[in-house]
Amino acid sequence: MHEFLAQLINGISLGSIYALIALGYTMVYGIIGLINFAHGDVYTLGSFFSLAILALLGATGELHGPALLIDAGLALFGAALLCGIVGVLIERLAYRRLRNAPRLAPLITAIGVSFILENAMQVWKGPSPVPFPAILPNPAVTVAGVAISLQQFVVVGLAIATMLALQLFVHGTRMGRAMRATAQDRDAARLMGIDINKTIALTFLIGSALAGVAGFVSGVYYQSTWFFNGFGAGLKAFTAAVLGGIGNLAGAMLGGFLIGIVESFATWLLGGQWSNVAVFAILILALVFRPSGLLGETLPEKV
Amino acid sequence: MRSMKSVTRLVAVAAAAGLLVACSGGSSGSSRAAASRIVKIGIDLPLSGADASVGISTEQGALLAIEQAQKKGLPGGFTLQADPLDDSLQGVHSPQQGASNVRSFVSDAAVLAVVGPYNSNVAAAEIPITNAAGLAQIGPSVVSDGLTLGKAAANLRRANPARNAFFRVCTTDSLQGAALARYARKLGYGRIYVIDDNETYGLDLANRFDHDFRRLGGTVLGHDHLAQDTQDFKSLLIKIAATKPDAIFFGGVTSTGGGLIRKQMFDVGLGKVPFIGGDGIADLATVAGKLADGAYFTLAAPNAERLPAARAFLKAYTARYREPIGPYSANAYAAAQVAIAAIERAIAAGGGAVPTRAQVLAQVAATDNLQTPIGPVSFDAAGDIQNPVISLYGFKNGTPYFISQSNLTTK
Repeated sequence: MHEFLAQLINGISLGSIYALIALGYTMVYGIIGLINFAHGDVYTLGSFFSLAILALLGATGELHGPALLIDAGLALFGAALLCGIVGVLIERLAYRRLRNAPRLAPLITAIGVSFILENAMQVWKGPSPVPFPAILPNPAVTVAGVAISLQQFVVVGLAIATMLALQLFVHGTRMGRAMRATAQDRDAARLMGIDINKTIALTFLIGSALAGVAGFVSGVYYQSTWFFNGFGAGLKAFTAAVLGGIGNLAGAMLGGFLIGIVESFATWLLGGQWSNVAVFAILILALVFRPSGLLGETLPEKV
Repeated sequence: MRSMKSVTRLVAVAAAAGLLVACSGGSSGSSRAAASRIVKIGIDLPLSGADASVGISTEQGALLAIEQAQKKGLPGGFTLQADPLDDSLQGVHSPQQGASNVRSFVSDAAVLAVVGPYNSNVAAAEIPITNAAGLAQIGPSVVSDGLTLGKAAANLRRANPARNAFFRVCTTDSLQGAALARYARKLGYGRIYVIDDNETYGLDLANRFDHDFRRLGGTVLGHDHLAQDTQDFKSLLIKIAATKPDAIFFGGVTSTGGGLIRKQMFDVGLGKVPFIGGDGIADLATVAGKLADGAYFTLAAPNAERLPAARAFLKAYTARYREPIGPYSANAYAAAQVAIAAIERAIAAGGGAVPTRAQVLAQVAATDNLQTPIGPVSFDAAGDIQNPVISLYGFKNGTPYFISQSNLTTK
């Protein structure tokens, strides 16, 4: 029981990072039908940006009190903002002109952008894993015999807060409504006076900023980052988005947490080498029985 | 248009002139005659990426031996050159990249021997190619048993079963695994959890450790293999923490998970548990920093700093590179020495004619008590070194320190 809880908490922490990345995949897919393979690398970029900001602030070790709030806050918002800008630039430079091209063209472009980002990061921070300063004091609270670290609270708390804010934004604001309208029918939305280009750029801004948050969170959690991390994490987050129903925000979060928990439990019960197998087996099973994902609705076909 | 053309022409002329200058700078006298008097030693190691921290210091060992031979001069007026290639792809050592590097060595007639690679799975992809070409290859650090021994090795030599072209100056996984098992028992550890990275080297080492540790009366609490492309090892470590091990054994290298596992042990309350591994975690501190303290590793080589024969090498290495030697610098130096000595003997035996790959290969196999910084080197029929030595290290303040070494005469 004790171990069950420990694994569950670990799975939720891991899953909250996947969920944050999965949101970006699902938002972009929802609005322009593109699987943005460069998204995983924007996530890695987020941890690199946080690292650079912390280095600028001179934060190399554990922080306390106001210094912790200010430095960590700046790193978090800075990484989110910079990633958001990178996302908008990627859309403007690489995807916008291909918006009406055959679907394969933007897909291949996305893979190309992914390579460009990876290599740029490799040039920036070198090809080896880079240590991330352990800024967070890490006392553990023991709940029902299970030690939960402050890091885990922060990781999960930040992820849930971000997701709630996103839900409020998409369902409660004019811009959110414009995004949903564009996702439903781009041409009709344009006829209603919605600026499509601006709305799509906004989607990339938000999706990439969430990846930036995930990058910061993973840096704090693992105290290490590497230019190639986005490949594996991106693949699993994409799986999470598909599992939850691609295009569906709540589905991406659910999928992310599920994948994290499955990975954790598979490692515990089946052994580490089976964790990826278990994750993808679950995906296949889910898609066989619910082709549009757990929370996805079958949309009427677009003409 | 016209101005474009003339610019192009100008560039072409400049480039040609540059080439001419480069040629005449490289070798005095007629360049065609000199070209056939050039002999090369190919070096294949991971020079970028997560393995570069060990790959580059290994390369520097080999380059030092080649530079010294250049300074001394080869018999017959030959010019010796090093041809180093990187087998890392996307930041990690890659068997495919290694194989393609070795193919390019094979296609260059001037390459008479190869030093490398660093990783056993890369070696497994390369040996069939050097075997088919009859090109002598000397591994400085590849320790997996199956590269020289048993059915696995016979399989690698399928193209030319009668002619072994692969040699190594280090010992094998099984000797290293066995030494680690003995050492763990000597320290009084009874219950150990074994992890490996599911690669050629890590799996072999972990299996051998697992087997020997049980044979010596220890308990293996469990044996897990890692998944690829992940940075989260906490679920595995939570599971391990529940078994209350005396120590954790890791078969693998720092870049495939060793470094992050050591770091994450502290997150699940395993920080005080010793972490034991083979030569793959010699660079553990590059990822784990001071958290590497409490980890132990072996090298499949004697401690060069303690061998009297190695003093000249150490002095030359630190003078040349202004840094202490890496875990396999001395081995790479020895491997390059083997190649150079074989080429020199082949030149002498051929009366100054250009030696063939077959002649060099025969001379490598005939290496007899060559004096190197890791002791005298001779090979057995399988291509393994005779008189292997294993040395043991720990970490203090993120720096390795020497503990002891043992001589393992005959297997």
